Amino acid sequence: MRRECRGEPRRLVIQLARLGDVVQTLPALDALRQAHPHQGLDLLCPEPLTAVAAGSGLCDRVLPWDGARWHAWASRWADNPVRTLHEAEGCIESLGPLSYERVYSLNQHARCCVLAQLCAEPIRRVSDTEAWEAQLRPWAQHLRWVAKERGANRVHLADAWCGMCGVLPRGQAPLCVPPAAELPDDLAGIGERRGLWVALAVGAGEADRCIAPAVWNQWIREFLAQTQNGHVVLIGSRAEGERAQAILDSLPTLLHGCVWDATGRTTLAQLMCLLQKCQWIIGADTGPLHLGTLVGTRAIGWYFSRARVHETGPYGEGHWVFQHATQTQPHSWPIMESIALMRDEQRQSLADWTLWRSRMDRWGAFFDDGSETAAVESSRADIWRACAPVLCESMAA
Amino acid sequence: MNIFQDNLSRLAPGQQDLATAVTSAAGGVLTIEPSKTGSPSARRSGRWIHSAYDPLREAQTWADTHAAACQSGETIVVAGVGLLYHVELLRKMLPPEAALAVLIPNLDEFHDALAARSFEAWSESILWLSGSPTEVAERLTKTGRPIRCLSYTPATQWDAEFHRALEEALRRVISRRAGGQLTIALVGPIYGGSLPIARYVKRALETLGHTVQWIDHSVHAASYEVMGSLKDGRNRQVMQGRMADLLSQWTLASLAESPPDLVLSLAQAPLTLPMLEHLRKKKFLAAMWFVENYRHLTYWQQMAPGYEYWFVIQKESCFEALRQAGARHVSYLPMAADPEVHCPMTLSGDDRRMFGADLSFVGAGYANRRRLLPALLRHPWSFKLWGNEWEGAENLRSVIQLNGARIDTATCMKVFNATTINLNLHSTTGEGLDPQADFVNPRTFELAACGAFQLVDHRSYLPECFTDREILSFRDFGDVPALVRKWLGDQAARQAMAHAARERVLAAHTYVHRMQDLLGQIGLSQPDRVGAILRGERQQEFLLARCNDDQPLQALLKDCPSGQRIELKDVAACIRSKGPISALKREELMVLMLDEYRSETRDLA
Repeated sequence: MRRECRGEPRRLVIQLARLGDVVQTLPALDALRQAHPHQGLDLLCPEPLTAVAAGSGLCDRVLPWDGARWHAWASRWADNPVRTLHEAEGCIESLGPLSYERVYSLNQHARCCVLAQLCAEPIRRVSDTEAWEAQLRPWAQHLRWVAKERGANRVHLADAWCGMCGVLPRGQAPLCVPPAAELPDDLAGIGERRGLWVALAVGAGEADRCIAPAVWNQWIREFLAQTQNGHVVLIGSRAEGERAQAILDSLPTLLHGCVWDATGRTTLAQLMCLLQKCQWIIGADTGPLHLGTLVGTRAIGWYFSRARVHETGPYGEGHWVFQHATQTQPHSWPIMESIALMRDEQRQSLADWTLWRSRMDRWGAFFDDGSETAAVESSRADIWRACAPVLCESMAA
Repeated sequence: MNIFQDNLSRLAPGQQDLATAVTSAAGGVLTIEPSKTGSPSARRSGRWIHSAYDPLREAQTWADTHAAACQSGETIVVAGVGLLYHVELLRKMLPPEAALAVLIPNLDEFHDALAARSFEAWSESILWLSGSPTEVAERLTKTGRPIRCLSYTPATQWDAEFHRALEEALRRVISRRAGGQLTIALVGPIYGGSLPIARYVKRALETLGHTVQWIDHSVHAASYEVMGSLKDGRNRQVMQGRMADLLSQWTLASLAESPPDLVLSLAQAPLTLPMLEHLRKKKFLAAMWFVENYRHLTYWQQMAPGYEYWFVIQKESCFEALRQAGARHVSYLPMAADPEVHCPMTLSGDDRRMFGADLSFVGAGYANRRRLLPALLRHPWSFKLWGNEWEGAENLRSVIQLNGARIDTATCMKVFNATTINLNLHSTTGEGLDPQADFVNPRTFELAACGAFQLVDHRSYLPECFTDREILSFRDFGDVPALVRKWLGDQAARQAMAHAARERVLAAHTYVHRMQDLLGQIGLSQPDRVGAILRGERQQEFLLARCNDDQPLQALLKDCPSGQRIELKDVAACIRSKGPISALKREELMVLMLDEYRSETRDLA
């Protein structure tokens, strides 16, 4: 980490969303660091997710935001406003000096905007807010349009966040060394034995993005049947432990020695260590899938419901995404197809699913099915030129 | 020194009167027996007050349950004495600054407790409260601290009347001292007798300075009525049921727009149990004033657990039935009158001729009325019968007015005021007088508020509302003709009685009084929520006083309208009105941040 100098101009990125979003904020941190190498750079994110960026070297400090405490204060205000305000003040104070020269608020909700103002240096806040908003506005409008229209957008969310921070993507995905974290004894053997180790994210943040345990059960049986020395590690939160148990319950006992249940058993730092020990991670569009890419694990995503590969696919080179054709729950799943990819990089097609491979170029990440690469680059360049004309001009120069 | 004297010496200084009184008390109320663990336990009238196995463990469970809710600035008042294990363990769990008081309704029981086991230092800081309920209530409220009442029920049943009277006294004191402004969502019915009462309640709450959000479902009455015209009973039921569900959802959506401190429903309000449970989960406080005879209208059985507070117009058997159905707090709240509507009128000669009579009755054609009223025909006085649902009552045709049309409140008031003797006969589905004649109907209070003379069938609760100098009642309908004859001939006595009845209503039986009692009861039960608002602890002046030297917060509060209740959302609104957030101070931004989190807390989606 860089040494923090008092009085030195500092920048702050605010990301208050979930695990996947925090991971996909790191390309923006990476690009900001490159663009402003002599300025301090911090990230403010939900307290439970600080480990994601803490060891990345992409920022100087990771400030924890404890939303639950703010919720509690809000409901307690009436009991004692003085004490509530003092406690809230104490929380802000505990974040350290907050006179940021520039604050980038990546979430477009009022809470995040207020937080941005709280963290900014007062003079800057008053004088520069309009300029800050001018930079954010086109990208915010673009993201709103994408969320609403679900059009043919090909600019990745992580790259749009780079745009909101006034920087171009670096053209390569950030890689992090997981913070040192010892795994529980019974999980310490993961990745130690020879073979193909696959982490399987059993759940997803939202119910409609979850894949049924029966599907995963079938995937594991096929994978272990086809792969000599194959190992599967089930990962997820404590709440997802029941899903993992349902998967395990219907597996033949003989296969149990090849399947490890780590759901609810790891801290975020331990999960990063665990993911690093696997060659692949497979799952729906969910936080652990993205976390895996951050530690160098290759990802295969099954994207369906509202998940869209071009916006939130795994960031970086060499990941794969099976995108379902409709927003309804799929009837068939790319089980054999994903196993073939892991085993031999063999691309097989399946009705109602399109296979996309992740690539990187000067505009950031994009997904390619081999059919229209030039057109894709042109459409992304158009969006960048529309949303960040000055930045594009400077790049051209 | 024996145990009794040792314990006596620990009574706090200033409680010498109590010490003297308990010394001369005879005791002998409690039977002391060793428990299985060896510590003494006790029975009263043969029933165990404490566990026969392990009274300490039992008391610890009780203390664990209650200690968490107790706040340090409050006076915690414990009802139920026994051997005071529960008080000892609660005292040990509370911070030293929390005041703990124990009610002593029976000095003999207290004497037995002091003699049974050795109290230690914990007992020195207890405020022991004896005397009449009114004295105890005054003493408690003089402290100025919020009061939280706890009950150790195994020991309270023998002094139920004392505790009831104390609760009422405390409720009255709280409501008298209430200076705060609540925001109350009032949920009315689609139609029916509780609809006008909802209007009276609204006015009463506003008179008391509270803000009322009336969720008025009467605007949907026409649609509901149209559905009632469906001939197929099943279809009718399905359609009306769905409409009630929709209106329940509508109520929820309305509440989400601006979350109130209290949701107050009147009987027949279209709020389903699932909606009420959802509200409860979201920490909304809901109360129901069930202004119906619980024996006739029984849908409360399905709704009982949905409301935190039930207010009913009947007592013991009704309380028990509701509790068995899952109600948590049930209180008695009788009907009342609204003096703005129910008042003496000066009528024109034409109105007197049109609406007046020697004897009148206003009401719907219930079975008992159809059976009894014909006995009032063919007498030397004039008799008029007003109201609807008299179809088929051929023997009353000569006295039915306006062809049995429903009459509105204004017409009703004219009849009351123009009539010499108003007959008030409570409805029942039987043939005679109501065999379970307990509650007093609204008509009793309304007639009295009009200064109109009335003759009412006797009710068991009538004496606690009016004396026999204020209202004339009969227990046998056969006595009515003679009473009418007698009182028609004594104008001065009629006027005196009617005047006294009106005075009594104005002094004690208006909807303002009822709402004071209702809010006082909830405030007593919730000292740190509704109670705090009622005490004025959300008013600008109080908050400013609490700021001490916090100048930034003082400045924020001073920007808000003076003399008003101030909540986080009000401070935030005031700040937002200043313009772009970039120009705001740090503390202003923090308030906005808190407000953003607040707005999510009550999200009903």
